[in-house]
Amino acid sequence: MISIAQRIFNACLGRFGRQALAALAVAGLWLPAAQGQRTTDFRLNEFMVLNQTNYEDDFGERSSWIEVFNTSYGTVDIGGCYLSDDPANLKKYPIPKGDVLTSIKPRQHVIFWADNKPTHGTFHLNFRIDDTRFLVLTSSDGRTIIDSVTYPEQTPDVSYGRTEDGVGAWHFCERTTPSTNNSLVQLEAASDRFKTYDPLGIAMTITAMSVVFLALILLFIIFKNVGKTALWVIAFRGRKIPKESPAQATVSGEKQQPSAGAVFAAIAYALRRYELEMSELESNVLTINKVAKAYSPWSSKIYTLRERPNKKSK
Amino acid sequence: MDINSLFVFLGENLSQFFSYTSFSHLTIGHIIMMGWGLLFLYLAIRHEFEPMLLVPIGFGILIGNIPFMAGLKIGIYEEGSVLNILYFGVVQGIYPPLIFLGIGAMTDFSALISNPKLMLIGAAAQLGIFGAYMVALVLGFMPSEAAAIGIIGGADGPTAIFLSSRLAPHLMGAVAISAYSYMALVPVIQPPVMKLLTSRRERLIRMRAPRAVSHLEKVMFPIIGLLLTCLIVPSGLPLLGMLFFGNLLKESGVTRRLAETARGPLIDIVTILIGLTVGASTQATTFLTFDSVRIFLLGAASFVVATFGGVMFVKIFNLFLKEGNKINPLIGNAGVSAVPDSARVSQVIGLQYDKTNHLLMHAMGPNVAGVIGSAVAAGILLGFLS
Repeated sequence: MISIAQRIFNACLGRFGRQALAALAVAGLWLPAAQGQRTTDFRLNEFMVLNQTNYEDDFGERSSWIEVFNTSYGTVDIGGCYLSDDPANLKKYPIPKGDVLTSIKPRQHVIFWADNKPTHGTFHLNFRIDDTRFLVLTSSDGRTIIDSVTYPEQTPDVSYGRTEDGVGAWHFCERTTPSTNNSLVQLEAASDRFKTYDPLGIAMTITAMSVVFLALILLFIIFKNVGKTALWVIAFRGRKIPKESPAQATVSGEKQQPSAGAVFAAIAYALRRYELEMSELESNVLTINKVAKAYSPWSSKIYTLRERPNKKSK
Repeated sequence: MDINSLFVFLGENLSQFFSYTSFSHLTIGHIIMMGWGLLFLYLAIRHEFEPMLLVPIGFGILIGNIPFMAGLKIGIYEEGSVLNILYFGVVQGIYPPLIFLGIGAMTDFSALISNPKLMLIGAAAQLGIFGAYMVALVLGFMPSEAAAIGIIGGADGPTAIFLSSRLAPHLMGAVAISAYSYMALVPVIQPPVMKLLTSRRERLIRMRAPRAVSHLEKVMFPIIGLLLTCLIVPSGLPLLGMLFFGNLLKESGVTRRLAETARGPLIDIVTILIGLTVGASTQATTFLTFDSVRIFLLGAASFVVATFGGVMFVKIFNLFLKEGNKINPLIGNAGVSAVPDSARVSQVIGLQYDKTNHLLMHAMGPNVAGVIGSAVAAGILLGFLS
């Protein structure tokens, strides 16, 4: 039976409305899922304006550089985005599409040279940043700003970057770290950490067993109460049934339902019998049954014996 | 034509052909591994020990241990070979979640829903995982390796492959073979432990018949189960997500075709691929090491500890339960996730002491809880050690 709420819902939406709602639901699921590999995951991460004795490009030249970091855990192509130092012209340098090198691996960096020499390659910008105080990375639509930074006056050979990759406040870096992590903390492997602090595995055992128990205890509590509720609902509905079916009624008028255990046992027994009787082995016993039909052309001697050639008389 | 040079040429050809044959590369290690493969096939075909797993694995061991000249793109570890491409699903942990999808679509959680306290047995039996983890640490394995070895105690092949492929890929072959071997040997390993830990009086405990479970409860179980377990242990999402999704396909009643595909053709295909490639990955050159021997010993110990944990937990739990509500400790062994073998062991041992005491349905509760428990445990280990 359709409930009143369902009827109202159907009447309000209609067939196409329901389809649209379903499409919206699917789109709603898709959007956050797609977030993992979008260009909005890029961040301006570190840059050096006055590069006098620092990092050199492939041509052996020193110029300003800008480091961009992919914060996501998926490969993202930065091709098609824009870099600029002018808030009035966000599309100053279109990063070329189709270059395999613009696909940035998860949690990796890419360096752009602000040397006004775009003929040197994809990563050489068509402007310099010596006399500006602003940097912006814009999405491929040319309007959506992915990340921007307004910076103070720069010191020669000192880079300006985030305290941690992709996040954190901007500051003058103590160490210049092009193409590598801004915070050079030596991260100990998880396995090594456990080896050091929990050599016998006692802490892991206690923690993990507690979590396993916690998960299953919560399930237990929920389903214990769900079970009680279900029994209550069944009992409540049972009172509404006006008549007992003949199979459920006994002479004394009491319900006689087979217990669930008996049903399961019967099913298990039937399955066991089925398994036992099911075999791919042939019995290897030939049984010749008497055929009711006495004559068959297959057994006829006329067809099975070779006829002697007739000698035709002239 | 010079007859001598013809014979020389012929001799060189034959010599070259011989260098291509497996005989010229055969070592004692290959022969030992082939023996293992044949033993698996014998156990599976003659004694029907987990034939669905041991036949593909056993045959895979034969395939993987036929030696050949390297560079012909035929070996499982040679990039671009057919076996290597199929093995990709193991290395990247694709097959285990798909198997869990099928398991979910074929598992009836009614026994668990009708008597939810049996879930706790599934948690207790995970002691095997962490018992083996501790011993492995003492033996000098790194924590990530010890975790991959310990998961054998969960008695769950796909989970073992999934975790070892993430934490210790170099041990995956030994872990997988060990897990599947002991899963097949559940009827041999568990009964002595169960009998040792229980008294005759305990073995005769009769449990209440489980109540009938409504359709609504069955539909709610995978949804609540997923939300609850994965919110606590999100790293178990690939396994638990697929397990509960498969179960929802089964129980929703409106996706019969999808459920049938998941529990039928899909799981069959993946079982063939995972069994064959895991078997083939045990090439003598990489598999026959002292570590493999230690992993086998630890695997056996983990099964014993898991059985111990489950049975002892029931005995302790019974101290707090009223008469009539007590649990037969013979179903404690079923807390490992070897479905339905360990539940079948409970039934068989129970019938040895009381011909009318059928424990199968009761044991299925902790058995399916063990599947959840071992996946949660794997998620925790992955979360901590990856």
